[in-house]
Amino acid sequence: MPLIETQNLTKIYGSGSTAVIALDHVNLKVNQGEFVAVMGPSGCGKSTLLHLLGGLDNPSEGQVVIEGASIAKMSDDALTEMRRRKIGFVFQFYNLIPVLSAVENAALPVTLDGIKPTESRARAAEWLKRFGLGDRQNNRPDQLSGGQQQRVAISRALVAEPALILADEPTGNLDTRSGDEIAGLLRDVSKKFGRTVIMVTHDPRIAAYADRIVFLKDGKVIDETLLETRKVKNIELVTDKMNEIGD
Amino acid sequence: MSVRNAILGLLAQHPRHGYDLRAAFEAVVGGDKNWDVKPAQVYTTLDRLEEAGLVECTSDLGEGDEPSRRIYAITKQGEGVLQDWFANGVTPEHQRDEFFIKLMVGLASGKADPWRLIQTQRAYLYQELHAATSLRDSFDPHLEIAQILLVDKAIMHLEADLRWLDIVETRLDEVKNQPLPEPEIRRRGRPKKKTAGSDGS
Repeated sequence: MPLIETQNLTKIYGSGSTAVIALDHVNLKVNQGEFVAVMGPSGCGKSTLLHLLGGLDNPSEGQVVIEGASIAKMSDDALTEMRRRKIGFVFQFYNLIPVLSAVENAALPVTLDGIKPTESRARAAEWLKRFGLGDRQNNRPDQLSGGQQQRVAISRALVAEPALILADEPTGNLDTRSGDEIAGLLRDVSKKFGRTVIMVTHDPRIAAYADRIVFLKDGKVIDETLLETRKVKNIELVTDKMNEIGD
Repeated sequence: MSVRNAILGLLAQHPRHGYDLRAAFEAVVGGDKNWDVKPAQVYTTLDRLEEAGLVECTSDLGEGDEPSRRIYAITKQGEGVLQDWFANGVTPEHQRDEFFIKLMVGLASGKADPWRLIQTQRAYLYQELHAATSLRDSFDPHLEIAQILLVDKAIMHLEADLRWLDIVETRLDEVKNQPLPEPEIRRRGRPKKKTAGSDGS
């Protein structure tokens, strides 16, 4: 059973002659522990897809099924509960609270859940440590680099131990090097920690970290590519490519 | 051109036999998997260099049962050409692009769906980019910097190729609406005399 699945997922904005079809009968299955990148030109529906997957918006037609249960059939309370426990969100602009420290920001979802502050801080600190921020826990966001802030945001997304991470242009505000680090870290979230990661990006370099790329165009899935990880430690492959490119 | 200049450079190091030269070339580029030069290419290149007076050849009689071999050395003129190579930039050949010719031939012949061609190429490049990314991650960031830089170059080129495909896709309809480039047919023989009122185009 896939962790998350869409069935004929369709989103139409407006009606009549001005209706815009943002998503057009999208069928997508993502397994546990899989890292999927969703790509496509702007306006292709990739952000709409992510919002529908996260239950942040309602489809016009079709449905999203998470762990076998349809989101559409959930009450508002059940949906809120599901969003809090099963899904972690990562955004382009981190959305950290400026007056809170890194560990307080990362602990926020479970703090709001009524877990004891010492316990929630300990959980948050654990994720920060895994992401190399063990010594920056008490820094406020403005004392951290963009890449570090995004690591705090990813810790926050994981602190409630969700099965699914949805990331919307997570490297969009970062330089190449920090972007690579965040993409590698999201890959670890999937490969080392077994979470499912679905990431929207327009950056080819970042998408290449995924296990699979889903290409969207005009609201439809036009292609999917599985990226096989070849276990080679030689530069044969690269140099072949470079010879093709020209010497 | 690069093979020719590399050969000149390796002969500037010291005179060599053809066989020795090919082995030295392979060592410099890091193995025949990186850059395969066939013996025939080495010998043809040496012949041309000799004709041009850039290298000179003497015969080695060979010791014992060894057959005689030709030994090549760089000439003064050859040294000059080599210095020109070092003094100038290297032209990348980005405009000689196999995918581009495939797309154009696909459009001209009507035998391929151009959208499919783009998507197939895109998927292929992503495979390569994924492999290059994993490869870079497998290198030691402190001890294998040269290898990482080489892979970085490949990654940047792949990125550029992918972005270029996006642009081609966006403008494909415009390309399809234009007449395809046709060869200019030149008439054989004497051109017709121009008549009044004709602009001769």
